[in-house]
Amino acid sequence: MKAQLDEEFSEFMQGRWPAMVRLAYVLTGDLGDAKDLAQSAFVRAYASWPRVRRTGNPDAYVRKIVVNENHNRFRKQQRVRERLTDSPPGDRADAMRESDERSVLIAALQRLGPKQRAVVVFRYWLGLSEAEAAVELNCSVGTIKSQASRALATLRDSPELVDWGRQ
Amino acid sequence: MSIDDVRDLGERLDGACWSVDPGPAPVDGTRRKGSALRLRRRIAAAASITAVAAAGVFVPLAVHGQASSEPLARPSHSAKPSQYSVTVNPPGLHSPAGLIASGTINGKGWQFTVGNRGANGTGGGQQITASGPAIGPDQIGTCPVLPAADPAYPATFNSQASPIAQAQYGAVRADVTYVTITLGNGRVLTLHPVTVSGVRLVAFAAPTGAVIAKATAYSGTGEIAAAIPFTGQDGMAVFGAWLKPGQQGLARASGLIGSGTTDGTKWSEMLYLGPWGICGIDPNGSICWAPVTSLPRRTSSFGWGGGPAIAVGSASESVVRIVVTLHGGSVIQVRPVRVGGAKFWAFGIANALAQDVNQAPWTAYDRAGHVVATGRI
Repeated sequence: MKAQLDEEFSEFMQGRWPAMVRLAYVLTGDLGDAKDLAQSAFVRAYASWPRVRRTGNPDAYVRKIVVNENHNRFRKQQRVRERLTDSPPGDRADAMRESDERSVLIAALQRLGPKQRAVVVFRYWLGLSEAEAAVELNCSVGTIKSQASRALATLRDSPELVDWGRQ
Repeated sequence: MSIDDVRDLGERLDGACWSVDPGPAPVDGTRRKGSALRLRRRIAAAASITAVAAAGVFVPLAVHGQASSEPLARPSHSAKPSQYSVTVNPPGLHSPAGLIASGTINGKGWQFTVGNRGANGTGGGQQITASGPAIGPDQIGTCPVLPAADPAYPATFNSQASPIAQAQYGAVRADVTYVTITLGNGRVLTLHPVTVSGVRLVAFAAPTGAVIAKATAYSGTGEIAAAIPFTGQDGMAVFGAWLKPGQQGLARASGLIGSGTTDGTKWSEMLYLGPWGICGIDPNGSICWAPVTSLPRRTSSFGWGGGPAIAVGSASESVVRIVVTLHGGSVIQVRPVRVGGAKFWAFGIANALAQDVNQAPWTAYDRAGHVVATGRI
């Protein structure tokens, strides 16, 4: 039974790993953090795999963990955020100018709070309905609507996206 | 530019994300960490004496190596000796094929069976399962490989846990005619080996947290050896060293051999010496490394605590400092701590450096700064 469950989990993780890393990437804005976040979510899914598989939608379960873990991570980052780099910190504007479309978009998303970011991703990237997003993000449809509205307003005013649009 | 069309936003996000290379899925590492998490959850749940809701949470103790027992680390949730009763019966003439043993815990039944080769997706292997109301709603399944008897020990036990019971099973040597298990409440269970696929197996189940005081193996002429297991925080008994009649194992002693913070998480390694050998308890659970009967006197790295994050070892008497040079060039210094008449050490390492520490060289120094020994983690 355990071997069967393990095999099932392995197949699930192999299949859904790219999607979860990409989801985590748009939420975190950092590929390294995204991989950590995605793995952390799969670890928790594996720890409860017999129960998770019985939900019939392990994908939603893992997605929810990714979002929640990102919220937790965001809270921790507000206390301290220090990262070692290979080179001294340069001019952020220069870095932005050199960035590609991907980093411009991701940088703009990072201007949003974690909840708004999750709403944007679930609604406009994953294509979930307001009701579906409300279930997955554990909030009301009204909250989804208001968060989405505010998030889009912020993105419209985002300097990263303004610069990008002029190129 | 402005985002007037949310579909445009979605498409751009899509394009941006598809340029991300997620790399291969780290399935093995995830399963290893998931197993450790499951164990931690079980410990926490048991400690708070709450009902464990997670059905089918089975944790092979192999995740934490060979662990073991004793009042030193008896979990707070342990069922009191007078509060449980356990029975065990060998297969009868009309028992189903593959049955190793059956019995009861507080009147509820359990049974151990060996499945047919290749059954239930086990490839060509055979799985041992424990099931029944005493075990819980889900059966406990082992890896699809039957345990092998170790010539060095009369019996080699493995264990698995359900939220309510510990299932112990093992292979016995050819000279063992039976094994007795002495429970903390004084009850003695007698296990008769059953041969399946050429392996002589014994098995029993007990409530999680019930103290298993001793296992004794007998041949046709008398006692061969006895093992006093170590009981970790999770309430599971793990059998380590086997002592021949009259042989003394390690004296009981315990001590903190290391602590610190890595990756923002506090860790500590508490060492427990005793007749079971050398075991430890850290934030990730309990683990036993060496079923030794005498104190280690050499400087060596003998294992890992809770996953790959804590390295543990011993040191010779003259060693006061050990310097580990990680493959990435980082250096870790650790000072041995005396526990029970010998010196031990432990250090935590950040996950990002976990690969750098494997086989990393170390050098041990004495008080005068002379090199006493070298080796690899």
